[in-house]
Amino acid sequence: MADAAIRPDLSLVLERITDGFFALDAQWRISYINAQARKLLHVRAECVGEFWLDVFPKARGRLFEREYHRAMRDQRPVQFVEYSETAELWFEVKAYPSPDGLSVYFRDVTSRIEAQREVERTTWRQQALIDFGRAALAGATYDQTLLDAIELLREILDASVVDLYHYDRSSGTFSIMRSEGWESGAWIDPHQPPLEHIAAVVRSGEPFVCSDLRIDPRARSLAQLERCGVLSCVATLIGTVQAPIGTIVAYNAQTRTFSVGDVRFVQSLSQSIAEFTSALESNRLMSEVLESIHDAFVAVDGDLRVTYVNRRMADYWGMTQSEIIGTRLSAYTATFESDGRVLGLYKEVLREGRALTFEDHNRERWHETRLYPFGNGVAAYVRDITARKNEQERVLELNAELERRVDERTTQLEVANKELESFAYSVSHDLRAPLRAIDGFSQAMLEDYGGGMDQRAKGYLDRVRRAAQRMADLIDALLQLSKVARAPMVFAPIDLSGIAGTVAAELGDSDSQRSVEVVIELGLTAHGEPHLMQIVLANLLGNAWKFTRHVERPQVYVGKNSEGEFYVRDNGAGFEMTYAGKLFGAFARLHPSDEYEGTGIGLATVARIIHRHGGSIRAQGVPGEGATFYFTLPAREP
Amino acid sequence: MGKPYILLVEDNPDDIDLTIRAFERNRIANEVVVVRDGAQACDFLFSEAHTHTRGLPALILLDLNLPKVSGLEVLQQVRAHATTQLLPTVILTSSKQEEDLIRGYRLGVNSYVRKPVDFNAFVEAVRQVGLYWLVLNEPPPTAGAGGM
Repeated sequence: MADAAIRPDLSLVLERITDGFFALDAQWRISYINAQARKLLHVRAECVGEFWLDVFPKARGRLFEREYHRAMRDQRPVQFVEYSETAELWFEVKAYPSPDGLSVYFRDVTSRIEAQREVERTTWRQQALIDFGRAALAGATYDQTLLDAIELLREILDASVVDLYHYDRSSGTFSIMRSEGWESGAWIDPHQPPLEHIAAVVRSGEPFVCSDLRIDPRARSLAQLERCGVLSCVATLIGTVQAPIGTIVAYNAQTRTFSVGDVRFVQSLSQSIAEFTSALESNRLMSEVLESIHDAFVAVDGDLRVTYVNRRMADYWGMTQSEIIGTRLSAYTATFESDGRVLGLYKEVLREGRALTFEDHNRERWHETRLYPFGNGVAAYVRDITARKNEQERVLELNAELERRVDERTTQLEVANKELESFAYSVSHDLRAPLRAIDGFSQAMLEDYGGGMDQRAKGYLDRVRRAAQRMADLIDALLQLSKVARAPMVFAPIDLSGIAGTVAAELGDSDSQRSVEVVIELGLTAHGEPHLMQIVLANLLGNAWKFTRHVERPQVYVGKNSEGEFYVRDNGAGFEMTYAGKLFGAFARLHPSDEYEGTGIGLATVARIIHRHGGSIRAQGVPGEGATFYFTLPAREP
Repeated sequence: MGKPYILLVEDNPDDIDLTIRAFERNRIANEVVVVRDGAQACDFLFSEAHTHTRGLPALILLDLNLPKVSGLEVLQQVRAHATTQLLPTVILTSSKQEEDLIRGYRLGVNSYVRKPVDFNAFVEAVRQVGLYWLVLNEPPPTAGAGGM
């Protein structure tokens, strides 16, 4: 049992110590309490003698009660730290039992505990911030990120209400992005923070901290906020003063002294939100670009997981963009590509770090895919090239069709040519044989029976024979015409002067009674088929020779004019220019055959040869004065 | 062995008559044996002629456009057979188509003569051919020695 009265000298000591002290007797009545204890516990000296739990009712059920009883029961000292609701302080308590009662020493350790708790909270906040940033990085949606931030503020700052305002710098206006915790009906203007000082945060960059809105002179809208049930708040800038994004405001239902760590926490959170916002903004820009391009787009990381897919690609794969992001590319390539090589090509780009392009045909569509190394993954642009492919195929088909038709036509031409050849062959053989019979038997008749014929009958037989001969000549000329049309062309340099000379000499030999003055320019050269050009000159000179028959001083001139045209000129019968166009047709004749013999095929043959060389031919004539035939030969093969 | 004779391979009766007339006009006395197509010509040369007392002809005058077996095919067989391969053979035809000339010479014809429409010219051509091949030209030894 404790002494009812503590000795005066002891009492002096107890009054001086800085610890609080009280003593309880065996009946748990306060037998002594020093001044410090009275001060800390807000009791007066009159409490001595009262039952301790009547004096400190808030200690009931708490550690205080339990530990004191334990000490008495075990008769062993106890020591503990506990929050005293009576004192609203943290106490470190030491209690020493004796059979007579309990002596209790306690001291205020609130600041130490607070410091410890602040360290704990800081660690907690830091961990929370790290987790928050990690979630944002992992591709959480913007909404989810904001909700996470709000949740953190409620958890760590005991915020009852959190507002996130977006600030439009160009117009200087706010708009609420997210608001959580207001009781219904307590809504505050979504276009303006409730306090001017909160709005000022976006301009100054300084946080606004208010531990009691009721007594803060800056809180002029007090009534409004109080009505809404908030008493303290902290607001910080999201972004920088140069590029403010908005402000975050956390309100508490109670008054609260925000520590430096609290404010720093809100600032760090704002910083994270700002970073996330700007990352999102650049993502949004990129995404806008990728959504607006005509190509389908997909980006994959180094593990071939989809990090981004645009709408067009998602539509093609038949899923939403958010369903696809994060999944494996192989799920789609297996279904939507024609074979396994496609995934291999992505891997090749990863491995080689080089872009590549390939075409793919699947589901009746053609796609062109361009793969680029991108970050540590691959970006793929896929373009539908079905229309282009179809066009290409159509062109190919058209070409094939054209080729087929050309082949067909060539075959037809070959057949026609063959027919022409066999026609010419048969003409050459079979048309001449009857002519020989006509001529031969007419001659036989003249020889065997000529004695009994008068001159007139003999004359008729002569005419039969001449007609046969003429027809034979016609056949030969026609055969030559068909031959020059078909003959293979072997181009070589040609000495036209030389050929003309030879032809003229032959003409002179065959008609030695006549004297024709032939002048040939020297050095007339060209590029052409020698045999055919020989036929040309033979015909032209032959004509000149023939049509100068009735001229007193026949002259033939072979030369080249200033335009580069070769020409053969004579001073013979000439012709009317009206008929110049008819000259080069087969069987065309401008003179009666009894006056100037001929088949009418010679100039047609000449024109055919010149045209086959790619050259041109024309004629000029004056009746009774002569004719000139001009022709050109291109410098190169046509 | 009888007097050297000429084998005329010709299907056109007009040409046969005119050719024989041309020979007569030139007073070429050698007999002219006429066969009317290529098949007959081969039969004659490769079987009948051997039983013939006269043996092989001294000269073949060969038309090209023949029924059944063409003149060029006859020529080819003539040159393929040991007994006839050296036999003087002259193509006598209406055409002077280049391909005929080339194939004729390639198959080993000795001469290629185009029948002129003008009968007088034809007579002259036959005269020169007869004179050259039957008088001027020395026949190959086998033609005589190989005769039966």
